[in-house]
Amino acid sequence: MKALVIDISKCNGCHNCQIACKDEHVGNDWTPYAKPQPIIGQFWNKVTDITRGTVPKVKVAYVHSICQHCDEAPCITACPQKAIYRRKDGIVIIDPEKCAGNRNCNDACPYEGVIYFNRDLNISQKCTFCAHLLDKGWKEPRCVDVCPTGALTFGDENDLGDLLSKAEPLLPESGTKPRVFYIGLPKRFIAGALYDPEKDECIQGAKVTVTDNETGEKRATLSDDFGDFWIDGLRVSTFSLRIEKEGRPAQEIQSVRTDRDVNLGDIELPRGP
Amino acid sequence: MTDKADRNQGDGDEKRIVKGLGFVGIAADANTVEVDVKNGKIIRINPLHYDRKYQPEEFNPWKIEARGKAFEPSMKSLIPPLSLGYKNRVYSPNRILYPLKRVDWNPEGNRNTENRGKSGYVRISWDEASEIIVSELKRIKQTYGMEAVFSQSDGHAETKTVHAAHGCHRKLLRLLGGFTLQTRNTDSWEGWVWGAKHVWGMENLGQMVPVTNVVQDMSENTDLILFWGCDPETTPWGWSGQLASRACYWFTELGIESIYICPDLNYGAAVHADKWIPIRPNTDAALQLAIAYVWITENLYDKSYITTHAVGFDKFKEYVMGKEEGTPKTPEWAAVITGVPARTIKALARKWASKRTTIAHGNGGPFIRGPYSTEPARLEVLLLAMQGLGKPGRHQVKMIEWSIYQHHHRNPWPRPLFIPQLQAADRGWKYDDTPRQFIPKCLVHDAILNPPISWWGTTTLSRDPVEKQFVKSTYPVEGCPEIHMIWTDSPCLVTCWNDGNSILKAYRHPKIEFILAQHPWLENDCTFADIILPSNTKFETEDIGVDIFSGQFDAIFPEPKCIEPRGESKSDYEVVCTIAEKLGLLEEYTGGKSVEEWIKHGFDTSGAADHISYEKLKEKGYWMVPTDPNWKTHAPGMREFVNDPEKHPLNTPSGKIEFYSERLAKHFPDDKERPPVPHWVPHGESHQESLSHPRAEKYPLLVCSNHPKWRVHAQHDDMTWLREIPTCKVKGPDGYFYEPLWIHPSDADKRAIRSGDVVMIFNERGTVLAGARVSERIMPGTVYIDHGARYDPIVPAEIDRGGAINTICPHHVISKHATGQVASGFLVEVARANLEELMKKFSDAFKRPYSEAAGLCFERVLDKGERE
Repeated sequence: MKALVIDISKCNGCHNCQIACKDEHVGNDWTPYAKPQPIIGQFWNKVTDITRGTVPKVKVAYVHSICQHCDEAPCITACPQKAIYRRKDGIVIIDPEKCAGNRNCNDACPYEGVIYFNRDLNISQKCTFCAHLLDKGWKEPRCVDVCPTGALTFGDENDLGDLLSKAEPLLPESGTKPRVFYIGLPKRFIAGALYDPEKDECIQGAKVTVTDNETGEKRATLSDDFGDFWIDGLRVSTFSLRIEKEGRPAQEIQSVRTDRDVNLGDIELPRGP
Repeated sequence: MTDKADRNQGDGDEKRIVKGLGFVGIAADANTVEVDVKNGKIIRINPLHYDRKYQPEEFNPWKIEARGKAFEPSMKSLIPPLSLGYKNRVYSPNRILYPLKRVDWNPEGNRNTENRGKSGYVRISWDEASEIIVSELKRIKQTYGMEAVFSQSDGHAETKTVHAAHGCHRKLLRLLGGFTLQTRNTDSWEGWVWGAKHVWGMENLGQMVPVTNVVQDMSENTDLILFWGCDPETTPWGWSGQLASRACYWFTELGIESIYICPDLNYGAAVHADKWIPIRPNTDAALQLAIAYVWITENLYDKSYITTHAVGFDKFKEYVMGKEEGTPKTPEWAAVITGVPARTIKALARKWASKRTTIAHGNGGPFIRGPYSTEPARLEVLLLAMQGLGKPGRHQVKMIEWSIYQHHHRNPWPRPLFIPQLQAADRGWKYDDTPRQFIPKCLVHDAILNPPISWWGTTTLSRDPVEKQFVKSTYPVEGCPEIHMIWTDSPCLVTCWNDGNSILKAYRHPKIEFILAQHPWLENDCTFADIILPSNTKFETEDIGVDIFSGQFDAIFPEPKCIEPRGESKSDYEVVCTIAEKLGLLEEYTGGKSVEEWIKHGFDTSGAADHISYEKLKEKGYWMVPTDPNWKTHAPGMREFVNDPEKHPLNTPSGKIEFYSERLAKHFPDDKERPPVPHWVPHGESHQESLSHPRAEKYPLLVCSNHPKWRVHAQHDDMTWLREIPTCKVKGPDGYFYEPLWIHPSDADKRAIRSGDVVMIFNERGTVLAGARVSERIMPGTVYIDHGARYDPIVPAEIDRGGAINTICPHHVISKHATGQVASGFLVEVARANLEELMKKFSDAFKRPYSEAAGLCFERVLDKGERE
C-alpha cells in the first residue's frame, strides 16, 4: 500500500512538483487512468506559498494540496456512477470513462481544491499518483521524481516507517484515513527583538517565556546576539509573554493572539534604577 | 531510486533523448534532461538519472564530510521548473513559424523607420526574405562598408553548440568584410569588474578565484554565511540547477548560520534565513563603512593580516573615521541611509568579527546593476580582508557559474577529472572575436542617437584585463562608418539593459535603415525589426552538449533531434547557412563540414574521446566524467595567498589587497564617483537615484530589480504553467497577466493599493504597468519587480503594459570611468492605474490578441490584412 510523505521543512518552493504534474497530464491521455488536464486551471499537486510574519521577522512556508488517496474516501461512496475506485495499492482513481460529471465527489471531499472539474470533457479529475507510470515500472510519481531536496517521499508504507513516525495527516478528525502525510506543517510563531533604549544596543541572553493561556503549556528561549527571539511551533491560541534579563525589570506582554504569526517588533528593555 | 528496467525504452515506439536544458547560451550547460518522445511529440521532460546506464562507481561519486556529517551529490540532475516545463516554450503560441516583413518597410522605397514598434507584419517566403537580406547586405557594403552592419549576438539563450543561439552570423559577416560588434558589458559582475579588480585583481570577473574546494572548507570551518544580495533559490536555476538549494540545507544542517542582507525577503531568505536584514537598495556601501567603523573603534579586525597582506589601510581608516570630509561613518550615520537600525549594524559587525564568516553571491544586489556598484563591490573585499580573507572558513563564494570559462579553479565543488569542452564545434560567437569597431551594450542608444561617443574600457564579456579599463575607446572609429543595419539574434535589449525606452528611440532612427532579427519567439526587440526570421528550439535540431555547471558531475551527451522543426523554422545556424548559400558562401561558411561532422569534431576535441568511443557514447546516450580522485588535495580558495603572499601575489600592482588604489589615483585622481579609496556615493554627476536627492520628492520609492525568479532574463516569460503561479504573474481585473510588483502594506495603504490592483510605476523616463502584490516580503520605502518581462507597449518608448522595468531604469553607465549598466536601485513613484481610462484612451493596445495561457501571442504583430 502506497503512501506519500511531504516534508515541508525541506520544501524550497521551486514548484517542480506542480510543473511535473502538468508536464505529465496536460496534452497526454492516460485513459483508463486519466484523461488530459486542460492547458490551465488544474493543479493536481498544488503548491501554495504562505508568507508568515511582518518585516523583518518573515518566513515563507510552502504547503501542498494533493488528493489524499483516502482509505475511507468519501468521494467513492458519493459517486452515483460508481466511477471512483480504490486499487489494491491504495491509489484512488476516478475512471474517466465512467465519470458522468455529477460532481458529487467535489462536494464530498473535505480536502480543499484537490478534485477539479473539466468543463470540456465533463469529468472530474485529480491526482492518480501517476498510476499509469507505476504500472509500467516507475518507482515514484513524476512529482516525487523531480523534487530536488527530498521533500517528497513515495513508496510502500511499510518501508516509510521512520518518516511516517514523524508525520501527521491532514484533517484526521474527518475519518477519511488519508495516505498522504506531512512533516513540518506550519504552526504559529511569536517573535520580537529586545534592545536597550539608552545605549541603543541589542540585548542578548534574555529569557523569553511564552505561556499558552488555554493549556498552560510553556516554552522558553534566549534572545540571540541581535536581541531576536523567535518561538515557533505554537498553536492558534492566546499567549502571555514574560521577558527576563538580569539587571532589568522583567516585562510581561498579555493577550497575544496567534491567529496569524506574531512579530512583536522592537521591545525596549531598559535597565533598572 | 531508479528502476533500470522499464525506464529504459518506455513504451514501444517511445524514445528517450538526452538534452542539455540550461539557458546560458554558450557551448556549456547544466540541467541535463531526458526527453520522452513519441509519434513526433514531446511527451515529458525528466531529470537525467545518472545511474540509469552506469554504475555509480564508474563515475566516482564524491562525498563532503565535515562535523560528523556527510553531503553527497544526487544521482539525478536537479533541474529547475524552467527546464521541466519547457514544452510550454517549444509549443508556445508565440513561436515565429515563418519569415515576416514589416508591412510598411520597403527597401526599394520608403523605410518608415518611425513606425517600428507600431506597424504590423506580413508573411513572406524564405526565398524572398533571403533575397532582400542579401541585397541589403550588398548595398550596405557598397554604400558604407561592412562595418555599417551591427551585430547583436550575445547574452543568454538555450545552450547549443553547432546550432549556437548567438553569434552564428559573425563568421558570415567576416567573410563579407567585417562588422561592428555589440560588446556585452559585464552585466553580471559590474561592480566586481570595475571596482573589486582594483582591490584584489582576480581576473577575469573580479570575484574570488581560486574557489577550489571552498564548499569543503566552508563545511568544516565556516560559522556564518552572509548572503549579500544573493538568492540561491533563484539565480542559479538557469545556470546550475538546484544544487545550490541543497547546499543551503546542508549548511544549516551543519549549524552554520545564514544571514540575508537584501531589500526583499528573497526566495533563499524565505526558507533558509536565520535572520533577514532588510536594507534599502543600493545603500550597502554605507552599511559596509559602518561595519568597518565598529571594527576599527572596537579593535575587532585582524591587524596582523592587514599588515602582511594589504596596503593602503591608513587612507581607508582616515575616510571611515571622517578625517576626509568630517563625517565619521558611524552606525547611526549609516542607519539613516540604509534603514538598518544602528544597534543591528553594531551587532552584525561584532558577530562577523567573532565568527568565521563567508560571503555568498548569486550575482545580484548592489554589486551589479546599482548606481556606483564599484563601491560596495570594493568595500566587500576590504571587509573580508579585515577578517582574514582566505583563512579557514573565510571566503567569497558563488552559488552559480561553477567552472565558468571551463576552469577548475572557478568550481568550489569537488572537481571532475577534466572539464569537457565543445568550443571547437561552437559555430556561434567566440571570446576573442572583437573587431576594431565595437559599441558596449550599455551605450548602444547613445551611439545611435548622439555620436560620436567615447568610453573607458575595451571589455567584451570581461575578457580584457583590468589595465584596459584605463584605455579610452571611441565610436565611430576613425576610418569606420556609423552603423546603418542591425542584425540581432538576441533581441531583448528593451527589457534587459539600461534605459530600454532610449533603445527603442534609437531603433527608430532613420540612419538605421534595416533591422534583421532571428529568434524563435515573437517578443521584445523583434517587434522593432523589419524582417524577422524564425529560428527554433534545440528540440528541433541535432547537436551535442556538455554539463559542466551543475556542481554534481560533468557529462557529455549527443543530442539527437526530438521533433520536426515547427512551421518553417530553422536553427540559428541554419538561418545563417540559408543566407550564406544565397551569397554563394555556404562552403566557406560551414568550413566544408556537415552538422554531423561538426558534432563529431566537438566530440573528438572534447577530451572525452580518451575515455569513451563515439559509438559507445551514442549508444549510451550520455557519459559521466568521473570525479578527480585527488580532488581533496588542492588548497582551498585563497589559502596559498594567506600562507605566503609574497610567493602567491594577487594580480594588483602591489601584489596585495589594496585599500587604496594607486592606479586609480594615478589615472583618475579627481573621480569622486570611484575614488582611490571606496566611498559612499549617494548621488553625483552620473546618477541621482538616492532618497537624499531632490528627485525623491517626486519619486519617493526605490525600485529593487534583480534576476527574475521565473525567467532567465527575458526567457520563459511565456511559460503557461509558470504564469499560473501567483509570484510569477498577477492576473488583473482585465484578465491580463501583469508582472508582479511587491509593495509593503504601509506604502500600499498610502496609495490605496490592494493586492491584485493594476499599478503604474513611473519616473521621468516613462511608465510601466504591473500587478500589485502587497507583501511583508519587501521593506517599506522600496518596491520589488523582476527584470525581463516581455515588452508590450501601450505607447512605444513611453508606456509599457508588460512590466519591462528596464524601460525606465537609469540611462548612464555606472560612473564616469566605469562602463557598465545600472538597472536597479533607482527612484520611482507608484500609483493605482485607472484601467478604464487607459483602455478608453489606448483602446488598440488593450484590444490586441491575447492568450490567457501564454500571454502575448504571435497574431498581435500581424498586419490587419494578414489576420483575416
